[in-house]
Amino acid sequence: MKPLAGLRIADFTVHAAGPFCTHMLSQLGAECIKIESSLRPDIFRKPHPVYGRMGPASFDQVAANKLSVRINLKDPRGVDLAKRLVAVSDMAAESFRPGVMQRLGLGYDVLSALKPALVMLSVSSSGQSGPDSHFAGYAPLFGAWGALGSLTGYADGPPVEMRHVMDHSVGMNAAVAALAAVYRMRATGKGSHVDVSAREVASALAGEAMLLAAAGGEPARMGNRDHEMAPHGVYPTAQDDRWLTIAVRGQEQWLALLAAMGRRELGEDPRFRDAAARLRNAAALDAQIESWTGTQIAEEAVVRLQAAGIAASLSATTADLARDVHLRDRGTIVDVHDADGKTRAALSVPIRFSRSEAGLARGTPMLGEDEDYVFGELLGMNAAARSELIESQVIY
Amino acid sequence: MTNHVEGPLNGLTIVELSSGAGAAYAGRLLSTLGAHTVLAEPPGGSLLRHRPPFLPPSGEGAGEVSALFAYLAAGKASVVCDLATVAGREDLHRLLETADAFICDVPLAQRAGLGVDEAGLRATHPHLIHVSVLPYGASGPHADWHGEEINLIHASGEGFLLPNGLSAEMFPDRPPLKIHGHFAEMQGGVVAALGALAALLASRQGEGTAGEAVDVSIQDAALAVGAFAIQRLGDGSLEHRLTRSFKYGGVLECADGYVQLLTLEERQWTGLVELMGRPGWATAPDLADPLERSRRGAEINERIRAWSRTQLTADVVARAQTLGVPMGKYASPAEVLAGAHEAARGLFQSVDIPGAGPADVLVAPFHLDGGALRLRSGPPALGEHQSILSGNRRREAAPRAVGAR
Repeated sequence: MKPLAGLRIADFTVHAAGPFCTHMLSQLGAECIKIESSLRPDIFRKPHPVYGRMGPASFDQVAANKLSVRINLKDPRGVDLAKRLVAVSDMAAESFRPGVMQRLGLGYDVLSALKPALVMLSVSSSGQSGPDSHFAGYAPLFGAWGALGSLTGYADGPPVEMRHVMDHSVGMNAAVAALAAVYRMRATGKGSHVDVSAREVASALAGEAMLLAAAGGEPARMGNRDHEMAPHGVYPTAQDDRWLTIAVRGQEQWLALLAAMGRRELGEDPRFRDAAARLRNAAALDAQIESWTGTQIAEEAVVRLQAAGIAASLSATTADLARDVHLRDRGTIVDVHDADGKTRAALSVPIRFSRSEAGLARGTPMLGEDEDYVFGELLGMNAAARSELIESQVIY
Repeated sequence: MTNHVEGPLNGLTIVELSSGAGAAYAGRLLSTLGAHTVLAEPPGGSLLRHRPPFLPPSGEGAGEVSALFAYLAAGKASVVCDLATVAGREDLHRLLETADAFICDVPLAQRAGLGVDEAGLRATHPHLIHVSVLPYGASGPHADWHGEEINLIHASGEGFLLPNGLSAEMFPDRPPLKIHGHFAEMQGGVVAALGALAALLASRQGEGTAGEAVDVSIQDAALAVGAFAIQRLGDGSLEHRLTRSFKYGGVLECADGYVQLLTLEERQWTGLVELMGRPGWATAPDLADPLERSRRGAEINERIRAWSRTQLTADVVARAQTLGVPMGKYASPAEVLAGAHEAARGLFQSVDIPGAGPADVLVAPFHLDGGALRLRSGPPALGEHQSILSGNRRREAAPRAVGAR
């Protein structure tokens, strides 16, 4: 059994952040019903040439495991149908710009009157309140507004764009906040409106720098450098564009690294005597490290350094990850079968439970694939009623 | 004036044994959402108390105060338990008696010796939810591997894909880059909080699921938020930092700082042309075709960058948002702290930080029922809440309580 079995979500979310949240909850056992229409399919269900291919660019990774129904929310009868679906759900999730659900007649005030125990989740770029709540934005803007972007980058370079990891971080945070509200609802019957702000997620991920600035400090971009660890960086190897990461926290690891490098004499060098000296002489230190890593095969060096107790990793490409034995063993990476029979690597939910199950049970639904179950079984509509709504383009 | 609301997890008790940002962030999220969260610390204090960056000292003789610890521990209680001793291990067990979940990032090899291994705790605390947060998780061939933030952001794939855009264009030969701070570790924290809540909900469904062990790997968590690259791989494209930049737009340098521009939709491009004052090159008929713009992205970017260098960030962003052009300033932390939007939403709360005085700490990136959550307090002084132990001792014979306060 999955931990969220019995939790039903009416899912109005679109794009990446909101759908990723409900995708995680569905893999934890929630029954997630995705609501779209032929008039307004999720933009990620459509081809997106900006990403260089004519198929849906990222839809499977956030829509797999969900059920799909069509409801035309431009039609008042479609809004009524959506309300009936919310009434039999525990949670409603949406990620439109603030105000859109109200204009559709599906705001929290309306839905909570219909079902007081409802947990409604709203995910937006800047939150439901405040002077910037109307702002349009995508992942790189969340990072820019939230300061995570200006803090990331080489010390002598510009800020760096946050990409999809930013969207999905927002979705993961939203899942936490929503489940906390569901926990209270299960315990007390009290519903709530959860308002997740993407730019605030970006700021929260740099919360220590925010505090430093609040106390008069000046946090700045520092590339791959660390405040206290040296060596600490991403180092070239004997192979083109294969990189090795090394982080040395203590003296013991420093001496172990020198042993692994066959350079014990560097332990006597006053420039590298202790962490403070190594930080002061980081450029000279990195030159020494690179002279060794430059002769190494990255994956072999990682295994040797880990065995010596040193924190080291490959700078993994996506292809490395898809075939990684550890990730496969944990079930983090699984194989799924596309409709055309081809196999591809996919990500499961990143949590292992000792007793409960979790993960993908089915693939991406076709638009409207689950209407027999949702409209027929859950809402008890007969065939004639459904046909009429299809003909009048309410189910469309 | 911002409304404040009570956290929905009020009544839950979490015990946290952490030395890394991941487990600590899991405890922080649950604490801010209302759970009473108790740090079990060694006599010298959590390692996080000694981790930089440090706050500017509040006065002469003041010791170092970690901004990282202060942020991650705000709102929590602190009890010293010396797990090297029998008495200390008993103290931890006393805390666990009234706890709903235990968050732990002690390396696997050390757990049994400290009495915090999952099997041992299952025997003494059958209902306790055990949440493990480790660099590579508690199972699998790499479960014993070591990992700091820079190792983990690269072991999960996003590191190799950074930087992109302007920075990658400027420095194509440099090594790939980490994200600021503890991004990967904190993803592990978010996922651990999610796992704890899912297990708590499961345990409400019946005895069969009580005492769940939740195994979270920071590598898994950071990989999960990088899901898009795995999807692309299945589509036949291997992403690379030098080729995944937006065709045009991205990071733009202005006269007084940087802005981000991203126009995915047609009307946003039209708005951008308007924003730039309808220059002749941008209104040329062939650029009306989005695929042609994509093909000539480099040339378009040269023009946009020449224009942006003459602009002031505040002015151009305000005009862009009016025209529906997605643009935002690369704000510094100080600018976020001073932001009118953040103030209106109560994103920061002034709390007392022992050794550093009052300072604004970020509360949480979400609101409930139209109000901001509140931190109970600043970060605790070491052992500030030692009396919890004597309280628990008095309650030993009583039924399992909710909340140790």
